Amino acid sequence: MSRNAEEKKSRLYGYAGKILRINLTESTTEVIDSRKYLPEWIGGRALAHRIFWDEVGPGVGAFDPENKLIFTDGPAGGTGIPTGGRAVMCGIGANNLPEQYTSSSIGGWVGTVMKYCGYDAIIIQGRAPKHTYLLIEDEKVSFLDADGIWGMLISEAQEAIFLAHGRDTFSMVIGPAGENLVRDATITTSNDHTLSKAGFGAVFGSKNLKGIAFHGTGSITPYDINKVLELRLKIGDYHHVPNPVTHQTALKSIAYNIPAPDGWDFGKLACSPGCNSRCQRLMMNMKDAFTGEKIAQIEKCVSPMAFTMERDCFMPVGTWVQSPRNPRSMGAQRSWGIPYDENDPDYPVISEMWGGDTTNYWKGDFDKGSMMDQLCKEYGIDKWDFIVWNMTWISMCKKEGLLDDLDFGMEPDPESAEFVRYFIQLIVYRKGPLVTLADGSRRPIGDVFAEHMARAIRLLGKEKYGDSIYHGRYSHILKKNIEIPVSLEAGWGQCTHWHGRGFQGCQKWFWTSNAILHMLNTRDAMSSGHTHLTTDELRTIQKEGICHSPTQIMAIRRTETVAILTDSVPNCEWQSNEMFYPEQNAEQFYAATGEDLTPEQLLMRADRARLVFRAILMRNHGRCRDMEVEDAYPFLTYPDPAGDTVDWEEWNDLVDMYYQSAGYDLATGWPFRSTWEKADLGYMADEMERLGMLPPEGGTPGYVRKECPFEGHVRKKEPAVTGNAG
Amino acid sequence: MKPGNHIIQAPMEYSLCTGCVSCEMLCGLLHDGCIGPQHNRIFLQPGRIKQMVHKILSCQQCDDHPCYEACPRKDQAMCLDLKTNIAYINESECIGCGKCQKACHFTPSRINLVKSRNKDERKAKKCDLCRDKPDGPQCVKWCPAMCLALSEGPIPWDETKEEQA
Repeated sequence: MSRNAEEKKSRLYGYAGKILRINLTESTTEVIDSRKYLPEWIGGRALAHRIFWDEVGPGVGAFDPENKLIFTDGPAGGTGIPTGGRAVMCGIGANNLPEQYTSSSIGGWVGTVMKYCGYDAIIIQGRAPKHTYLLIEDEKVSFLDADGIWGMLISEAQEAIFLAHGRDTFSMVIGPAGENLVRDATITTSNDHTLSKAGFGAVFGSKNLKGIAFHGTGSITPYDINKVLELRLKIGDYHHVPNPVTHQTALKSIAYNIPAPDGWDFGKLACSPGCNSRCQRLMMNMKDAFTGEKIAQIEKCVSPMAFTMERDCFMPVGTWVQSPRNPRSMGAQRSWGIPYDENDPDYPVISEMWGGDTTNYWKGDFDKGSMMDQLCKEYGIDKWDFIVWNMTWISMCKKEGLLDDLDFGMEPDPESAEFVRYFIQLIVYRKGPLVTLADGSRRPIGDVFAEHMARAIRLLGKEKYGDSIYHGRYSHILKKNIEIPVSLEAGWGQCTHWHGRGFQGCQKWFWTSNAILHMLNTRDAMSSGHTHLTTDELRTIQKEGICHSPTQIMAIRRTETVAILTDSVPNCEWQSNEMFYPEQNAEQFYAATGEDLTPEQLLMRADRARLVFRAILMRNHGRCRDMEVEDAYPFLTYPDPAGDTVDWEEWNDLVDMYYQSAGYDLATGWPFRSTWEKADLGYMADEMERLGMLPPEGGTPGYVRKECPFEGHVRKKEPAVTGNAG
Repeated sequence: MKPGNHIIQAPMEYSLCTGCVSCEMLCGLLHDGCIGPQHNRIFLQPGRIKQMVHKILSCQQCDDHPCYEACPRKDQAMCLDLKTNIAYINESECIGCGKCQKACHFTPSRINLVKSRNKDERKAKKCDLCRDKPDGPQCVKWCPAMCLALSEGPIPWDETKEEQA
């Protein structure tokens, strides 16, 4: 059912057609024609980058009314194209250090229902004069008094909105953590779909915004319905089987087996409208941490770690490396029940399990784990940060005797359910006994941790509370204990995520690649962009040498650009297969919009959005080489499970290769004019020139690589100022 | 085998609804060429946030056809398929008065209504078991969890006045 040329010209297929600006300060709205940006800027993250570049200049902090949150969906949303239902939010984040422009993605129904309301994006700006929630009913936007739901937990607030406006009104809300500006607060919809990593929940709180409810009655028309149907068969064929709920008596994986005293029931859910996958684990008949009633909880990748963390999360190599005969992620295959081709000659390569370390953070405890997950969700605090960073820090510091000088008000103990509940509440409500900070001032201990771990560690004193070594990490590869710092900080104030040490054991090619992606970003980059390779590429990288491999750089750049597409079309990393089905994004884009681009042409659009992101970081945050290289490096100096690290020269060699490949100046990390112009962004080159951020073609003359500013794992101390400083 | 005459949702022991709303989306897409809440003839009623067990609701093709009886343009807009004994809507004749929706035995009503400022666009939408499709109801065909089926069983009258979840 394709359209003729006239029809194609007359409307924006796949899109809703409008962008809504919401000014909370003035309680006003404005409608912008989507054609100003679409389809040129695809949708989702790419669209948000372009809008943010236009609208928010330097000097704006996360909690300033001038910060704008841009919530976007892409053309595949609401079209029935599998994986098309996710949405993205961008703005200045609260939980990165320093605060920078960043993004976060979310499942659930809200992105699609926003499109049914008629909007491809909403721009949220200003600060409401009082506690407010927004009700968007097609073109009608109501600024409603949120006093009645302020203070409510995540599910309570959503149920209250259902009750007030009907069960066809879908909302995303903050919990008490966001209201209290806890820097890793989430915005959550449904059971546990969250905008979590950027701390946008705290930004909502700073805007006095409890949530946004959507009730849409409009419709979305994809361009090519037959193509939509084809994609539904092609992308998720293996899911076309029943989805029975099964009773479980334990929570099991390769690494753990935790008995569940009362048992639980296991089901699977889709994360977003139209998707034919079911990646969300639904744990049913769990005990409600507040009422004791039986409830269900969606559990995602990090959730099982709440139940036990005696050993790292570790996965088969095939989770990231695929072969033609095993073209799908093994981790996903395993959870979807797809058999592997064990006769594949590459099977031994991809089935190899990466070495996870034993870390003994906490023992298995089903009820405590369930409670920890639920409390994070209901208070609206990022599970990843609380479990992998706050709680591991408590565990490591306690074992190293570092907590003796900190009064928590009760004995800090990661094995104690009572303490876990108490500790979360301290953070969420910024309360607790006063502790003395490194600068001698005193604050409630929960108030300190509400500033997010990276800031809390610095407030308490990084040398002791961040850089002290935990001696309880055991490498199963080296058969000995190896070093890890008590604070698992990987860069930009973000927690480790596939950095190969402290939480997730993996091979050096993978963590170096992820570290470059993290370095180029402003947040944990493993949102929709884990590095993927073919088995042939892996062999080539190993032959070329990991830190000097052009193939490694190619894979990093591919991952970086595809991740933008994934958050723009949108698509899903786990349902995509850029190794052996590279046309997927372009096919989805075509089915939705009728824009018949080759995969390369669509990638070029995403790559242009990548450069706009770079431009925002440069103009708004002064991003440059030294910032990137030095921020990401320290964590990489601790050994991975095989004892591997990078040294300063290797790390810089890898950065050099990336910059050269991307068309950036080695000295500054800033793109050359030719790089901007190649992406049709000559006007950005002009702006960079005006800002003094346009390096000469060929590179900054006389550039010499900086000497390593670190001694061991930590920055060298600045020489003391002597003499009369004036 | 004799085809069934109403859509049912499987028990979760056989297959849990994943909440993907593919049934709703494919219904709108394959009937009307677009997707949106007003184009659904089948509906997901979301479960409580803390449970996530969703109900799928659609016309149960009642034997007494209250929707047909209520239609002011009976046999032109709301018609009976004598072969299958189901009521179906001839949308070109439908004036969108909403009487069929109100007459539905079930709560919420299993008949949808396109609301529009433009009178000509107001139409009722009701499951017709995809009577023009040789492979039958498309929601059943495209449900990735295979949790929808055609039933020959009795109409679940006990669900007519069900409360919202």
